[in-house]
Amino acid sequence: MVRLSDLPDYERKHLLEKNMPPLGALPWCVSNKPLSDKRIALITTAGLHFRGDNAFDFADPTFRPIATTDNANNLVMSHSSANFDRSGFVEDVNLVFPLQRFQELLAEQTIGSLADVHYSFMGAGLMPEMYENSAAQVAGLLKKDQVDAVFLTPV
Amino acid sequence: MSALGYYLERAGIMTTGISLVRENTQAMQPPRALWVPFPLGRPLGIPNDIAFQHRVIRAALALLDYDEGPVLVDYPEEAQAPNIETNLACPVSFNTTTTQEQSWHNVLGEELAQLRPWYELSKRRRKGRTLVGISEDSIEDILAKLGQLLDANALPTKNLKWFKLAIEDAKVFYIEALTAQPGDYSAEAIEQTLWHKTALGTGLQIFYEHFAATPNLAIVARLIASRRAIGAATGGAITARPTDNKET
Repeated sequence: MVRLSDLPDYERKHLLEKNMPPLGALPWCVSNKPLSDKRIALITTAGLHFRGDNAFDFADPTFRPIATTDNANNLVMSHSSANFDRSGFVEDVNLVFPLQRFQELLAEQTIGSLADVHYSFMGAGLMPEMYENSAAQVAGLLKKDQVDAVFLTPV
Repeated sequence: MSALGYYLERAGIMTTGISLVRENTQAMQPPRALWVPFPLGRPLGIPNDIAFQHRVIRAALALLDYDEGPVLVDYPEEAQAPNIETNLACPVSFNTTTTQEQSWHNVLGEELAQLRPWYELSKRRRKGRTLVGISEDSIEDILAKLGQLLDANALPTKNLKWFKLAIEDAKVFYIEALTAQPGDYSAEAIEQTLWHKTALGTGLQIFYEHFAATPNLAIVARLIASRRAIGAATGGAITARPTDNKET
């Protein structure tokens, strides 16, 4: 469990060294429609992609697309960190990238719609500022896709 | 994760999501985050537990209803951890004593031959799903090349990108073979078996030590083994020794 009090000293120290201050004035978007009308996109930082895609490099702020119509069971992982469990993702892609769960939410009309395309980053080895350009690029793509809100999953 | 929340929200797109390390999220203050008490690698908690995953997702989506932020909410439900002592029955008997007399190339090849049927069984149980294949090499070629490097006491310093993908494929091949039977496995038990009972684990520890002791390449060691597998801070507890590695 990721409670720092449960971890060995070296692990607690390592994770606390990752504490970074806010990147700037705290942004806040006001919700203007209910969840049942919102268009949702998923973004993971688990370093997921398909076999034909370029794998993520050691430290890599780029991103890979994952279409709603893609079979998420074919996703693979080229994350640079050795410090997290892979066995759960081996067992169930939804544990990390819950596309099927969101398709179920769409079917029961809990959400309004799903984005055509979702995105995968690899969160390791870089300072947060290094993601600014690719995040801006993805923001443009999400707006073109008329996305209202993003569901973010780390790994 | 927090950085993406910040940049997307700043661009006008609402964000919510999962936090695995509460302290990191509290420091960066992304707009909305649900901290979950789950292990790293398991942001939705429990594999194949659809109801559990939906409860986590709904709790994170509920943060979109807040009028002001930043919002950091603690998720109250624990993910029941598998029993580390009993849950992993090794499908093969690993022979870690032969490395003294035989070549690494042969030892890894024999280990792969033992694990191959369990990997195939695992793939059938998961309806063809496998994470192996991010390297362009077959798993046979990967283990053969790793064995040759170990036999030559060499590091792939000219081909680090290949090495990153190759060891990821090798590790996940072993994880899938070790978890061929149905069930939720303890990550600790898998790690103990991989790192302390298999020849691959022993070989990867050698790579780890050599990289950790090589100027300018110590960071590569972090790709190879987790801090828990090594038992101390990355690069900290490994006894550095003079490197006489050849470059390949």
